[in-house]
Amino acid sequence: MLFFRSDSPRFDFLRTFLSLTSCVLHSSLFAVETLSLSKRYGKTDALRELNFTVDEGEIMVILGPNGSGKTTLLMTLCTILKPTSGTAKVMGIDVVKDGTKVREVMGIAFQEARGFWRHKPSSILKFHASMFDIDPVKRQDLIEQTMKELELWESRDKLFMHLSGGQAKRLETAKVLVQRPKLAIFDEPTSQVDLRGKRKIWDKIRELRDQGSTIIVATNEVREAEYLADRVTILHKGTLVVRDSIPKLKDAIAGGDVVEVGFEDPVADKLVEDLKNLGGILTMSPEGNQLRANVSKAEDWVPRMTSASYNMGAKISTIKITEPSLDDVFLHFTGKSLEENP
Amino acid sequence: MNRVLTLASFNISMIVAERMGLVLSWALFALQFGIFGSLMSHLVQSTKVQDYFFFYGVGLMVITVFDTGSFVGRRFVERAHEGELPYYLSLPISRRGFLESQAVYGVVATILRVGPPLIGVLAFTGRFTLPGAFFALLSLTTLGLGISGIMISFSFIAFKSIDIYNAIIAGLSALLVRFSTVFYPLIFIPSFYSPVAVFSPLTYGADLTRWVLGFDPHLLLNPILAAVVVTAIALGTLSLSAGIVDKIIEGVKAA
Repeated sequence: MLFFRSDSPRFDFLRTFLSLTSCVLHSSLFAVETLSLSKRYGKTDALRELNFTVDEGEIMVILGPNGSGKTTLLMTLCTILKPTSGTAKVMGIDVVKDGTKVREVMGIAFQEARGFWRHKPSSILKFHASMFDIDPVKRQDLIEQTMKELELWESRDKLFMHLSGGQAKRLETAKVLVQRPKLAIFDEPTSQVDLRGKRKIWDKIRELRDQGSTIIVATNEVREAEYLADRVTILHKGTLVVRDSIPKLKDAIAGGDVVEVGFEDPVADKLVEDLKNLGGILTMSPEGNQLRANVSKAEDWVPRMTSASYNMGAKISTIKITEPSLDDVFLHFTGKSLEENP
Repeated sequence: MNRVLTLASFNISMIVAERMGLVLSWALFALQFGIFGSLMSHLVQSTKVQDYFFFYGVGLMVITVFDTGSFVGRRFVERAHEGELPYYLSLPISRRGFLESQAVYGVVATILRVGPPLIGVLAFTGRFTLPGAFFALLSLTTLGLGISGIMISFSFIAFKSIDIYNAIIAGLSALLVRFSTVFYPLIFIPSFYSPVAVFSPLTYGADLTRWVLGFDPHLLLNPILAAVVVTAIALGTLSLSAGIVDKIIEGVKAA
């Protein structure tokens, strides 16, 4: 039964209402969402009331030292572990109530590449692809291409037990790359992999994101996080400490940027006073021709500093800016270094 | 269903990859049947058991089925400890489907391990008939499913302690084999332990297989009862293990 004519004002209202509803619904749909998620092993709380979200199409890096709950979170998302309390959803699907559907849309590269000792890498990938209904016509080409890209092609007929640690790890990554899931999870994807291999894996992960997958990478490697992350979540003792993009996390450290300025002449007291008045500065220590300043946002402060120096007739010879590392960010938010045990 | 079969065939390909183990198990069977079987049949001279050599051969097949079922259960535990189980649990297949694939794997493993010896024994003793071989294999395979189910059902213990699991399984295996009619007919078993023998699933599997192969029914349990018990154990323990996989076992404990 037709209630409204398509050109009637009431139809316009309905159309606007539906459009707004769709927007609201769409904006609330995260690729991953956990609410008060907890996981307890005996007397140990691995996850504590975790509220965590990942947007569709982003690379979310979970950064934390060993024992921070990263792997437990990933295992819960891919339905291997059951939460003690709270909920977790992947692409809007509850991981406890509808585990099989969750597993259809996600793929995981495990931290430990183990098992299938007597199988060959090519047969492991074929099996994996067939379990995820990868088109049989394209399957072989896809496997060959992925193995070549990850430098596994030469080892395709070796038994798994004869692969090196790095090769086994690359095979673990290859499974997910062949699968191309909506949600791809990588747990420390480049541990045991050499530097060249690391760069390859990172590029392939970014490529997967560009093809439309949402990516979660758990790591305790700062360089890996810097290279990959659209956003970073810092986990510490099973709780979410902070979540943001790397530049914003670094900017959040007051006085985190270190600016070292070299002048042609000794730094005058008047110049120091004027620079202090610029604001955004935490500490400043002049010494001879050198001036060292801890500022919150170097990109804002340096232009103002050069302008003020020019007006005072002080000639600058060098400027060196050092940003805080992610380890500094971690230290700032948790009071501990990534290297330290929890 | 397609994924269940894909997973099962992946597991089965592992048995084929280890075919030397398979050949050795057949050789061991032939050796034991040939040497111990003929020795035992000369030692046991009873008018009531016409052909103890064949009786022993069937018993040996039941032991092989028991070993295979135990192996399937033990593999399940090993998979968890070697890191394969988390991978399997991350695949797009229901927990019940995963267990069904293990059951299919168990059935094929049993057929591969016991099929050739069964045909060999039947041919050697001149009792080979196609229906006999088929129903004997069916009986042995159903028994194998039950044994696998029992072993997988106990696997939750292994997630607490692998040592306790090994101790329990070793003790259970000894009891199930010794207190059964695998090598001796129930009517000859002394009264102080014959009541215990009726609690062993092997008793029912062995007697059902012998009945299928034409043994004197007076020496055996009621075949209908045996068939019901063997089927019930297979279905019951597989359902139990499906519940355990779904509710209790988690692939890995990570912090």
